[in-house]
Amino acid sequence: MTNADHNPKRTAEVLIVGAGASGAAVAASLAEDGFDVVCIEQGHWQDASKFPTVKPDYELRAMSSWSINPNKRKLPEDYPVNNDDSAIEPVMFNGVGGSTILWAAHTPRLHPSDFRVKTLDGVADDWPISYEDLEPWYDLNDHVMGCAGIAGDPANPPRSERPMTPIPLGKDGEMLAGAFDRLGWHWWPSDNYVNSTRYGEGRDACNFCGHNMMGCYQRAKSSTDLNYWPRAVDHGAELVTGARVREITTDSSGRATGVNYQDAEGNDQHQAARAVVMAANGVGTPRLLLMSKSENHPNGLANSSGMVGKNLMFHVYAGVTGIFPDHEGEWVGPAANMILSQEFYETDPGRDFVRGYSYQTGRGQGPGSTARGGSPRVPWGADHHAQMQRRFRNTVGLGVIGDDLPEQHNSVSLDPNLTDNSGLPAPKITYTVSDNSRALLDHALIQGQKVLEEAGADEIMVNRFSREAGWHLMGTARMGDDPERSVVDSNGQSHDIDNLFIVDGSVFVTGGAVNPTPTIQAIALRTADYITNEREDLKA
Amino acid sequence: MAFKPDINLLAAAMDRVIPPVDDLAGAGGMGLAEVVVEKSQADDRFWDALSTVLNALASSNEFLANSGDAQEDALRSVESLQPVAFNLWLDVVYTIYYMQPEVHRRLSWHGRPPQPDGNVMPPWDESVLDVTRQREPFWRQV
Repeated sequence: MTNADHNPKRTAEVLIVGAGASGAAVAASLAEDGFDVVCIEQGHWQDASKFPTVKPDYELRAMSSWSINPNKRKLPEDYPVNNDDSAIEPVMFNGVGGSTILWAAHTPRLHPSDFRVKTLDGVADDWPISYEDLEPWYDLNDHVMGCAGIAGDPANPPRSERPMTPIPLGKDGEMLAGAFDRLGWHWWPSDNYVNSTRYGEGRDACNFCGHNMMGCYQRAKSSTDLNYWPRAVDHGAELVTGARVREITTDSSGRATGVNYQDAEGNDQHQAARAVVMAANGVGTPRLLLMSKSENHPNGLANSSGMVGKNLMFHVYAGVTGIFPDHEGEWVGPAANMILSQEFYETDPGRDFVRGYSYQTGRGQGPGSTARGGSPRVPWGADHHAQMQRRFRNTVGLGVIGDDLPEQHNSVSLDPNLTDNSGLPAPKITYTVSDNSRALLDHALIQGQKVLEEAGADEIMVNRFSREAGWHLMGTARMGDDPERSVVDSNGQSHDIDNLFIVDGSVFVTGGAVNPTPTIQAIALRTADYITNEREDLKA
Repeated sequence: MAFKPDINLLAAAMDRVIPPVDDLAGAGGMGLAEVVVEKSQADDRFWDALSTVLNALASSNEFLANSGDAQEDALRSVESLQPVAFNLWLDVVYTIYYMQPEVHRRLSWHGRPPQPDGNVMPPWDESVLDVTRQREPFWRQV
């Protein structure tokens, strides 16, 4: 359906804010279960034929109109983010599919221990659910999104057969795998939501273009506009695009009644609903909850605990890059991940930090990206060409993704001055890197150099910390059993408002050391099933 | 007053950061200064960085008339005093230079955009797992 067909005057049974990873999953699930679903999305559908990787200046566009960073992209549907007091800049994409349009599609799962860090390690809090509670929805999501991988990873619990075989490691991956093997350290082919064969409606196998982070022309990289959304729309869900939600509205009893939004033509609208599901990511959701304050909710909606916007987690990133002269790697294959090492994932009392990290391996870069480097860039001046020749197609790197434990002072709040192009307050991020995170990264960088040395690196460059790496927006409306210390319960239902649900990364209690999207989507699917099975009162 | 880039100054600075090599002119000598200006006009951040760098160079004494060493010193000074602007300007110069077909030929790289042609995916070879799959499960039980 198109926006023109949408009638905001009717009352939807379920209104979803945000059409990304979680919003799409919950929309499809509820629509298939017979709910009348409306979703409001500030961005638009994406035309894969217009992704920049078909253009010669694609590397320049990645710095500007196709940047992962909304402050650099500055599209009308983006909102600015004040990062002045944050060590990490959040990155995201606003559109149908959300950040799954520009993601790496690397899709590991949390470990069972990630749900029990308080019990096991005495830090942060336990989740009110376990890995086993989520497992059926992890499996379901792997099949809908399309997972390439292989079961049998000794670092993780047994899991079901993956729908597709792994993406081949390639020359770079096999070199690193050999190094891990010789060190006796764990590695396993990464789960990726990238097709290793034809899978899903109209989706080809990956053609190994080497640069799928900027949208996948081949539609081989999974994004929710390609799978969940077609299913949702086929079952009657209405997706309203180019529409910016201003606030969630409530009645005199404090229950949610819908949202006020500005439609694509700039008109103010109200969409009534019997329930509201927030799926606007770990920055957008607390922003909207805080913007929705009223007489009944003076601190913002669903915020009697004061936890809305608090406990922001990103994951901390760093990396080591080896130069392997004459390697001539292929620079082909999905940008995401060849292999994953979780040798240092779990807490070891002998180290000076708790929890741990994963190594992820990338697949090389184009010439512009190689020159810009980052760890560090190829020097300018007389030595430029010699250094570029030495590095181009000759570098292989290990990225570190570290557990980022929650701290209340790391937060999303409303900026008192900065606004978006609708005049709405921009989010302000306050975030510092903890001593535990720093110690964890320092350990990872030392161990990572051992891997690259074992692989034969001639020189190793170290990136101690990545600032523009806030891919994973978590913790800002966390789940828990205690209404005084959490925002939603184990089903994603607000403690304060029984017809308000949150299904994005905001509900994470801890973040583990893996990319969160499969977990976000599993939680969304689980919440959808809870609504279907337990909340028949929300049906008209 | 609106900033109007000095193309000659920009080209000279670009030649200093990416000098000539083999049979290729430097980045400025290849005529890419105009491209840098055009692309920078499309993004406020790029434009601000360009203006900061060129204004700083223009205020250093006679950049164009200086020796190569003196030009390099001037650029190092801007890099030191205006690191954010300088690094962004340098990123734009690098990226535009490495978009050029003649540069790709020198790197012995095909140079076409990643799509639509892509590459050929090799077959999955399960034997790569022979060593790592011998390891006993070690995930932490809860």
